[in-house]
Amino acid sequence: MTGAAEADLPAREAAGLRKLKPDRPRIAVGLATCGAAMGGDRVYRRFQEIIGAGGDDIMLTKTGCIGYCREEPQVNITIPGRPLVILHRVDADDVEEIVTAVRAGEVPYEMALCRVPSWDHVTGTTVEYGGGFDRIPLYQDVRFFSHQKKVVLRNAGFINPEDIDEYIAVGGYAAAKTALTEMEPDAVVAEVERSGLRGRGGAGFPTGLKWRITRKAPGDEKYIICNADEGDPGAYMNRNEMESDPHMLIEGMIIGAYAIGAREGLIYLRAEYPLAIRRLELAIAQARTCGLLGERIFGTGFDFEIRIVTGAGAFVCGESTALIASIEGRTGRPHPRPPRLTDIGGGLWKKPTDLNNVETWCNVPVIIQNGGDWYARIGTEKNTGTKVFSLVGKVDRVGLVEVPLGTSLNTIVFDIGNGGSQGKKVKAVQTGGPSGGCIPVRLFDTPVDYENLNRVGSIMGSGGIVVMDEETNMVDIARYFVNFATGESCGKCVPCREGLKHTLLLLNKIMAGKGTEKDLDTLGLLADTIQKTSLCGLGQLAPNPVLTTLAYFREEYGALVKK
Amino acid sequence: MTHEEIGLSGTPKKSVTIVIDGRKCRADEGEIVLSAALREGAAIPHLCYEASLDPYGACRLCMVEVCHNGKTSMVTACTLHATEGLEIRTDTPEIVKYRNVLFELYLAEAPKSDVIKEMAARYGVTRTRFLKKIDTDDPLGGSCVLCGLCVRVCNEIMGAGAIGFVNRGPYTVVGTPFFEANTDCIGCGACANVCPTHAIRIEDRDGERVMHSWGGGRVRLAQCGVCGKYYAPGALTAATLARLLPPLRDDLAGLCPACRAKRIADEEIRVNMRGGADHHVRPRRS
Ligand SMILES: Cc1cc2nc3c(=O)[nH]c(=O)nc-3n(C[C@H](O)[C@H](O)[C@H](O)COP(=O)(O)O)c2cc1C
Ligand code: SF4
Ligand code: FES
Repeated sequence: MTGAAEADLPAREAAGLRKLKPDRPRIAVGLATCGAAMGGDRVYRRFQEIIGAGGDDIMLTKTGCIGYCREEPQVNITIPGRPLVILHRVDADDVEEIVTAVRAGEVPYEMALCRVPSWDHVTGTTVEYGGGFDRIPLYQDVRFFSHQKKVVLRNAGFINPEDIDEYIAVGGYAAAKTALTEMEPDAVVAEVERSGLRGRGGAGFPTGLKWRITRKAPGDEKYIICNADEGDPGAYMNRNEMESDPHMLIEGMIIGAYAIGAREGLIYLRAEYPLAIRRLELAIAQARTCGLLGERIFGTGFDFEIRIVTGAGAFVCGESTALIASIEGRTGRPHPRPPRLTDIGGGLWKKPTDLNNVETWCNVPVIIQNGGDWYARIGTEKNTGTKVFSLVGKVDRVGLVEVPLGTSLNTIVFDIGNGGSQGKKVKAVQTGGPSGGCIPVRLFDTPVDYENLNRVGSIMGSGGIVVMDEETNMVDIARYFVNFATGESCGKCVPCREGLKHTLLLLNKIMAGKGTEKDLDTLGLLADTIQKTSLCGLGQLAPNPVLTTLAYFREEYGALVKK
Repeated sequence: MTHEEIGLSGTPKKSVTIVIDGRKCRADEGEIVLSAALREGAAIPHLCYEASLDPYGACRLCMVEVCHNGKTSMVTACTLHATEGLEIRTDTPEIVKYRNVLFELYLAEAPKSDVIKEMAARYGVTRTRFLKKIDTDDPLGGSCVLCGLCVRVCNEIMGAGAIGFVNRGPYTVVGTPFFEANTDCIGCGACANVCPTHAIRIEDRDGERVMHSWGGGRVRLAQCGVCGKYYAPGALTAATLARLLPPLRDDLAGLCPACRAKRIADEEIRVNMRGGADHHVRPRRS
């Protein structure tokens, strides 16, 4: 088994390249959840009918999502020797025209979003597609893409997430091989430390340090867990990462397990993501077949297995101690730390455990492959690398955006997002999910990093950015998020359980025009109390929408209360 | 629980000095700071702490300020362990400010509880700005503060698991499954005993213990074989007797505490006259 796995990689790489650049046309339909929701499924079925009926020598396949969700469904066309062309807003009725064009070695120009003559998969592999189709704009000239830097999403929308060969063809599992066969576990940890990578689950804890602590914790039995409980309204970057490139996550976990000294990894994945579950299960099975999971990986003495555990849709189960309780079959309620997960007695089954977010794990292969120093040069000094944001709400170009940390909100909302939808004026953004704050447009020169977002009263969170325009009532926004947090509170500690309820009651009263100036003071004091006294992050962060709207949009509250 | 943990191993715990509101006090190393502070007479309010249970940290009333390397932070004293030189303050303006809001929340949550009213009043809070919870059907009489003590005692100490939390967030309540009588209840009454607000209603009548707050469940009481008094739930006595060795167990089965004391005294006198003591209680395994 072991020898076979080693010999397998080059063969699979070649096979994968033949699939990415076949000697016949390739048509790939974007089929992540977003593409499917916009009719991608129908488009795919129509392609099957037409290509099947015509007996064409055309390869039909799937990809994940390239992130430009407003332009779904998208279809990639690769004609040998020509650039890859991305068609956008494709309808099932367009399919016949597309196939006719492809048969003639052409693409329908009016449907084309952009062309990609060559694509850099960052870890050392560049796929050269070809030239021509000059009338179609280049990928880097599309304004939604031109300010982005794809590192984590380097393969998303290009490769078929259900085929391990294509991942290997674009440099996949090379980092795992390097780590396992050429590096000591300590050196792997050191490389991650050098990269400066910080946890993408919200708090920004240095990943290398967490790994080192877990590695050093006494005991032979340790676990690593991937937190894929993504539950923030409006946030779906983790979903896309898993649906579009599941092997990147698996590879990151293999490297992490080796570095930490764990033999079992778990992915805690919310049940509301059925496609991500399916693709990850498939990917794990493929990795196992290739000897990348299981015993004696790459012929070394290292054994590792990954298991998926599905969560039942409680937001609080994303919190580390509640997550452990949930996996162990107890009620998902947080408990005071210490003990921390990395301590003996604090982790899964009381063993030292390293918990990282999906995107954190996804950053690992590129760090090992290109080096920690390479990674540290992206972003700013204390906030290295890129971050994927979901840019949603009242913004013109909705989608997933990957930029270096430290990029300003202006760039994200105006340059990439093109400002408000339907030409309306943008008023504010809310970052970090339900527990983030609202940042007014006059502070949009704020660089998006952990510290600067905290400074203006918000958080990075998992990376949701919700845009609000001139018509949005900020009090109502605060009420929306407090309502969400109240429903998701576990009910254990009093500030969160009772305090959020009364915050909501007060906001309802104010919205109904029955509030007074005194209610506004009470609201502020209550929000402050909840923030300072709650047991876990849910309660500590939930008042942020109230506190920031009170600070930046007090006049909107003032307009609603009785004089 | 090991003998170390219950302090039977004979090695004395290391003693440390902690500073409470500027006053130096002794504590065992690792001891829960709330427990040490209460022993020293500090006026820290608390609702969810119980020494025999795992730290829980839910009522948030026991917040104190910790000074560490010149930086201060607020933490719950019931989850804080004593270390040498640890410095805490129990009444900074910040703590008073937040604690008062918490008291107001409690006054709104458990408007019927005199214990809460008195406790809040002791810290100067006599009214609440928040809407009071009114539920005339509440089996806990508008006095529950969800400190979780009853649930934890029932699960962790008695091992009965008859009650638990139902729902979540502001809808959380304590109860039996579906709020019906639960046959897992052994009627021990530990829940009512430990409840800080006396919210749980239990009544002994006609040879039965009625768990009014827990779906009206009924547990048969055992009758003393000697004096005929109803003295404890049958299920509870059975569970207790199962921990004793046969000679004593057989001796004590079916006796009320008074008659039992008399029987043991008689027995001790008889054994002593013979010159020697038996080990009646089976040691717990650690
Ligand atoms: C209420 C709450 C919900 C959370 N939800 C998530 C989540 O969905 N995904 C996630 O990765 N982290 C979530 N976190 C953060 C985790 O507790 C933890 O910090 C994180 O998974 C650590 O991984 P990282 O170091 O890679 O960021 C949540 C925290 C809180 C308090
Ligand atoms: S802050 Fe909210 S979610 Fe966290 S423990 Fe307290 S009640 Fe539960
Ligand atoms: S006694 Fe410490 S939180 Fe309740």
